[in-house]
This record gives sequence, structure tokens and C-alpha cells, in this order.
Amino acid sequence: MIRYVVSRLVVSVAMVLLATLVIFLIANTVPGDPVLTALGDMAASDPAQVAEFRARWGLDLPLWHQYWLFLERLAHGDLGVSISSRRPVLQDIIDYAPATLELATVAFILSVLVGLPLGVLAAVRRDTVIDHVARAVSLIGVSAPTFWLAFIALAVFYGQLNWAPGPGRLDAVSFPPDRITGLLLIDTALQGDWETFHDAAAHLVLPSIVLAAATLGLITRTTRAAMLEALSQDYVRVAKAKGLRGRLIVVGHALPNAMLPVVTLGGLAYANLLAGAVMTETVFSWPGLGRYTFRSAVTVDFPAIMAVTAIVAAIFVLVNFLVDMSYALLDPRVVKK
Amino acid sequence: MTVKDADATSTGSDEAPTAEPTFDRRGFMVLGAGGLLAAVLQSARPAAAQSAQRRGTLVIALDISDATGLDPVRVYQYSNPLPTHAAYDGMVTFDPGDSVNLKPALATEWAYQPDGKTVRLKLRTDVKFASGKPMTAEDVRFSFTRQLNIKDQPWQYISHIEEVKVVDPHTVDIVLKDPKLPLMTIIATPAFGVLEKEAVIAHGGTDAPDAKEKDKATEWLNENSAGTGPYRLTGWQRNQQIQMVKNPNYWKGTPGYERVLIRHMSESAAQLLAIQRGDVDVAFNLIPEQIATLKGDPNISIAGMTSLDFIYMAVVEAPTNPALQNKLARQAIGYAIDYDGIIKNLIGGNAVRPVSFLPVGVNGSTEELTKEIGFREDLAKSRQLLAQAGMPDGFKFALSYGNAAIAGVGYQNLAQKLQSDLARVGIKAELTPMDQVNMRTMYLGGKLEAALTFWNPPAPENWLWSSATINRVAGRVHWKVPDDVRKLVADAGAERDLAKGAALYKQYQQAMVDAAHHFVLIQPIYQVAVRKNVSGLKLTAAGWMAELGGAKPA
Repeated sequence: MIRYVVSRLVVSVAMVLLATLVIFLIANTVPGDPVLTALGDMAASDPAQVAEFRARWGLDLPLWHQYWLFLERLAHGDLGVSISSRRPVLQDIIDYAPATLELATVAFILSVLVGLPLGVLAAVRRDTVIDHVARAVSLIGVSAPTFWLAFIALAVFYGQLNWAPGPGRLDAVSFPPDRITGLLLIDTALQGDWETFHDAAAHLVLPSIVLAAATLGLITRTTRAAMLEALSQDYVRVAKAKGLRGRLIVVGHALPNAMLPVVTLGGLAYANLLAGAVMTETVFSWPGLGRYTFRSAVTVDFPAIMAVTAIVAAIFVLVNFLVDMSYALLDPRVVKK
Repeated sequence: MTVKDADATSTGSDEAPTAEPTFDRRGFMVLGAGGLLAAVLQSARPAAAQSAQRRGTLVIALDISDATGLDPVRVYQYSNPLPTHAAYDGMVTFDPGDSVNLKPALATEWAYQPDGKTVRLKLRTDVKFASGKPMTAEDVRFSFTRQLNIKDQPWQYISHIEEVKVVDPHTVDIVLKDPKLPLMTIIATPAFGVLEKEAVIAHGGTDAPDAKEKDKATEWLNENSAGTGPYRLTGWQRNQQIQMVKNPNYWKGTPGYERVLIRHMSESAAQLLAIQRGDVDVAFNLIPEQIATLKGDPNISIAGMTSLDFIYMAVVEAPTNPALQNKLARQAIGYAIDYDGIIKNLIGGNAVRPVSFLPVGVNGSTEELTKEIGFREDLAKSRQLLAQAGMPDGFKFALSYGNAAIAGVGYQNLAQKLQSDLARVGIKAELTPMDQVNMRTMYLGGKLEAALTFWNPPAPENWLWSSATINRVAGRVHWKVPDDVRKLVADAGAERDLAKGAALYKQYQQAMVDAAHHFVLIQPIYQVAVRKNVSGLKLTAAGWMAELGGAKPA
């Protein structure tokens, strides 16, 4: 088991480094110049100011040296200073990450709570109305572009029906709670500010549903497929022959065996939600990491791009690692191999 | 947080959460099949917009993703001058709608001294900072000196200041290194607001020569202000909102709102919904189609503001394209464009067009002058110029543009329109769309043949445009600027008489048309949606969007 853990861990760290290297090379290949986005038109045309800027940000160093400095800083837990916000990237990420974490977590819980039972039911009641509904839901969820879905949701439930609050994490007149974790639901709960808690929760409804849609579809489909497979196995037939109740067969025998692919997918889906909320965040004016990443990319903010890459890669790798570990728990045969 | 919470929640209301729903299989089904909507349904919204707190708050929707700081000495982007101007006053200002005549602000009068290089400013004696401390000449000296020593971007526009001296508690002298360069129009912009010396020093600020390294006040000034303006900055959550409260000591009288909130909304569609719902009072970033949908709304009025920004096509004397090195061929481009059609069809008529690189509204630039000396659609003349240039069948060039839109006009659409216009005289524009940053990198490097791009000024000072066109902008289009044009720009910049200045700038614009590198196509009249429960909000083209000080609940 320990050997399994260690080998996974080594591969994980290597993957993160590889990801940063790839992004570093890509970011340095595009012709866009961070000087031009960070300096105004006048300063960007003054060679002295441009040279000073490059020297200050280390952009005048050879590429390998720049990457080495990045690794060196990373090893010390220093993500550098953002060129466009002029603050430590870590500070930026601490500011923006909670909004994304909160949104992605709610969306993930939502998609698991809905997708998993829906997938199971669709498999158990194959070719009934439930199955068709499940298939329709997952098809729409997977195929509808998030951007479009977000606009429709906002226009209908906020613009027309006024059932849901508008963009942002809180109403304009709500005072944000004192920051403890940056997660509004937790901070307001800790401070007993239930009015703001409600406000924050209501603002999460639309964006989390929109964000959950695609994941929900995937989880439903995967669960359904895995359940169908499991239900056709011999042990299910044996269980039936033994006279076990239907529910016990599904939940006790088939479901655990069907979980492996679902857990894999779920892990990746959660990582995806964390890294890929750009569209939802844009439409819902959500001050999260997705927007920050997008902004870093368009302003060619190398330190921010590199830091976000390292973090996103680390999230994916971590999730994969946890998924691998959970295999060992779900299916002891994995370790023996 | 689980679905449960969302299910039982209502926005900002006092009512307790309803009984917790249980999550048996049936519950999941309800949620799964259309029950998602039911979750939303139950979070019905209270009438927050009606509350007294909401009435006392002016909520503005604005894309503030470009803002990197709110310390005046570092304010040079597009959106941050709005809050900066609300928090700080400068020596002088421009009234909305007049970008020519300076008006007094903290200074009541100003005059060049007989030595020709000193400007003496008399300060108001009744001004207090938001803290209650009186504003004095020492605060003015400190603010300018800090700016001069920190040397961040706005500094480059006043780098010709030698020093600022206190004459007496209500008089300062600004001594110039180069008195030929303009000053007063430039220091009207929010970057040159006056800060309370004591407060800035208390938070790590300094005006010492090593302020570039030693000044630590920016972090505090990003979330607080120390100015004399109508509102005081109390917080900035990046990419979220900027909060301000009223300054009870404001020298022009108590401001109309208790609070001002600038909410970041990068999507114009979200701004549209928010203003329709009344969650925001002002929406700045709506595109023409969205403005059109608001025309019939009884609760919303549309305010137009002729900006000083413009979209232009730069045509480069590119080494790769001999045709573009021929002035007559470039002029032929200028006469083949359907300028009126562009403004009518691409931006719904909400734009004006200047002669050249001086926007309509500044000294010496009017729409009438454009009709008199600017390019106009004249295909016969265009063909004639092509014939004179020895290219009767036209020529080819590559037109580059970024994947962006300005004032709702996508560069792509504009490029296609130009392509079809130019095709009428045989000029073939090959469209080369690219990433915006890459486009700018290549354009600034002088590597393109032609580019569609955008110009917005740091201050309504003609010299900032004209000097750019003969220096850095000239380099981008490979223009070897003749000496007489250089002299003209220098003379016009040094001219302190407005009428004489206007005459010189007319000559300058004629020279620009003759050189035919820049074809200004659209100077947008920005359309801002304002709810009718707001009165007295005046929009300005001078660079800070609006005078928040005059706004009050209707």
C-alpha cells in the first residue's frame, strides 16, 4: 500500500512540474508582450521605461533562467508578484479562490445529489419514463453551452420572473461578512449573520445550477452505464435468486461495484468545476479564480498565469491522487496488482 | 452548503428557513426532473430594492476589471478615474460637456508669472478633507511632490514640473522645467488630485526623493481615500465592488447619497438585466442593441455622452508593401470609405467623426471642420488618386484587428465594412484577425500593414494627441514627420491663447489628412442607462465618466 502511495505521489509532483513547463513555454511563445498591457501607450513607447519594466519583472533574463527562478520561488512557497495587479499572486489567489471554491463545491454537491440517484434510477427502471427523463437531462446538461445556459437562466429567473437574485455574490446593499475563510456561507454562519447567509445562498442558486448542469449530465450518464453493467453481473442474479429485495440488491451489491468509474469521473469533474468556471463567473459577475485566470491570460501576466497553472495542475493531480487512493479502498484488488 | 440550503433560502429576508426537506429517493426525483426550478422558486426575493438603505445608495454597474489601483498617483486605466474623481479634487476641472475651458476647483485662480515658467495658483480657503482637516498649500505641494518622486505612469504627463513650492498657506507655485509644454489641462485629471498629507504619511506615504521605493501608502490608498471629494473610499474588493460613503465635509455641500457602490459587471447583458430590475441605478457598459431595448422603459432614461475616444484605422508605410508607401494611394483609401454608413449602421448613429487625431469637442476640432477639411466619401476622387499613384486597378494590403469590440462595435464587423467599401475602387483589404494583445504588440512594433485600433486620452489636452502622432504613433506607421509639422505641433502646444491655438490645430489636422496614415472612423457617443430615481448625474468626456458629486435621489 505504501509503495502504491509513494509511486502515485512521485508521479503527481512530476505532472505538476511538467504542466508548468508546458504553460511557461506556451505563454512565452505567443507574440503578446506584457509590457504593452501593463504600461500605458506613452510609457510602452519609451525605451527607458520599457527596459526598466523588463528588468524589474525579470523579463530580460533568458527563458531557462526565468523558469528556474519560478521553480526556485515555488519551492519557497512564493508565487511571485502579479504584473497587472502588482500584488503578490498568492494574495490575489487567496482573494479570488474562495468565490470559486464555494461555487464549484455547491455545484458539485448539487450534481452528485441529483446525478447519482438519477443515474441509478435510470438504470434500474431502464426504458421507462424516468430513464428517458434522465437521458434528456444529461443530454441537455452535457450539450448546452455553459455561456448560453447562464444567460438564459439569468434572463428568465432573474430578468423575467425575478425568482432569483441578480449577478454577484451578494445584493448591492448587503454588507459582506468579515473575512474568515472567504467562503460567504461559512463566514456568515460563523458570525451568525443569517440575513447575509440567505443572501449569499440565494445568489449561489442560479450559477451553481448552471455550473452543475454539465457535470450532472456526465455523472448521470456514467452512473447509468456503470449500473447497467453491474446489474447484468452474475452476482446480481445470484442475489435475486437468493430472494433479496430489489432495493438491497441495487444499493448493497450493484452500486458499490458501479462506483469506480463514477468516482473517477466525479473527481475529475470537481477539478474541472474548480478550474473551468470562467464562463459562469463572467456572466454572473462572480469574482472568482476563473475570471482572474482569464484576465491574467489576456494581459499576459506571466507570474499570475504560472501560479494559476501550478495550482490548477496541483488540484487535478491531487484529485487524481485521491481518486487513486479511493480505488484502493473501493477495490482492494488495485493495490495487489 | 447543500441543495437543502438553497432550497430553503430567500434573499436577504428575515424569515427563517422553512422546514428542512428530506432527501429520500422521491426528493431527489423532484429535484432532478424539473425540481431544480422549484429550488429557485422557493428563494423568492424580498423587495430589497425598496428599503431605505437601498434608496440612500447609488449603485453603478461598471466593468472595473482593468483597475489596478485607486491611489491617484497610479490611476491611469479606464475605469478607476471615476471613483478617484469622486474621492479627490484637483486644482482645476472641466465641466461636463466642455472639454475646452478649464474651470476652478481647489484653485480659484491661476496665472503664469512674469518669468514665464512659474504658474501661481490661489487655493480656496474653505476646503476640508473628508477627515475634517483643512486643505492647505502644503497638502498640494506634498501631493505633487509625491507624484513626481513615485514616478508611476501619470507622472510622465507632468515630468516637466521642476518643483512645487508653498508661497503661503493658500498659494502654491508650480515651476516648470519646460514652460512650452502644457500643464493646467493635464492636472485637471483625477491622477492629480490633492491628498491629505498627514493621512498619507500616517499610512507609510512619503514625498521624499526615494518615494519610488519608500512610499508604502498605496496599499492603504487602494481601499481608503484621503481627499476632499464628495465621497470617501471605504473599500475595494477586486473584481467585485468599490464602496464609498459620503464626505460630510464636502466643500460644495452635502452629497446626495449616503453610499456609492460601483459593482463590477463585466457582461453587458448582466448590466442590462440588473438595471431593468432596479438592482443597479446606472449601467455604463451597454451596447447599442441593449440600449435600444431600454428606450421604452418608463423607469430608465438614456444619457448620451460624446466621448473623446475614437476607433481609427492606421495605415503603415510598410516595407513589405510598396503601395502603402505611396501617399496618393493612402489618400485614395481615405476617399473610398463610407464614413456615414459606418456610423449609421454599426453604431446606430451614436458617434461623431473628427478630421483626424483630435477628437471632436477639444479646442479646434468640430464636426463642421471635418466636413470642411476631413476625408469624405468620394469614389471618383479616390480612383483619380489611384490613377495618379500609378495603380489604376487598386492594390492589396493586410488589415489587422483584435478580437474585441469598442462601444459595441466589433472590429470584425468594421473590418468587413471597410473591406467592402474599399473594394469599390479596387483596393483589396485582406482581413487578418488576431488576438488583441498580439495585435497591439505587432502594431506598436510597426510590424503591420494596417490596423484597426482605439485611442483614449489621459486628459483633454490637444498636445497629448498631436505630440503622440509625430512621435511614437508616427513610428508605428513609419512616418518620417516633416520639420514643419513638428514645428506646428510644438507651437500649438505652447500657445496659451485658445483661439490662436485652435487656428494652429486646424493646420495640424490638415497636415494629418495630407499624410493619410490615420483614418478616424468612429468617435462614440457613449449611451449610459440611468434609472429615473437618480437625478443630477452628469456624464463627462473629460476622462472620469461622471460627476458623482451632483447626483441625488430623485
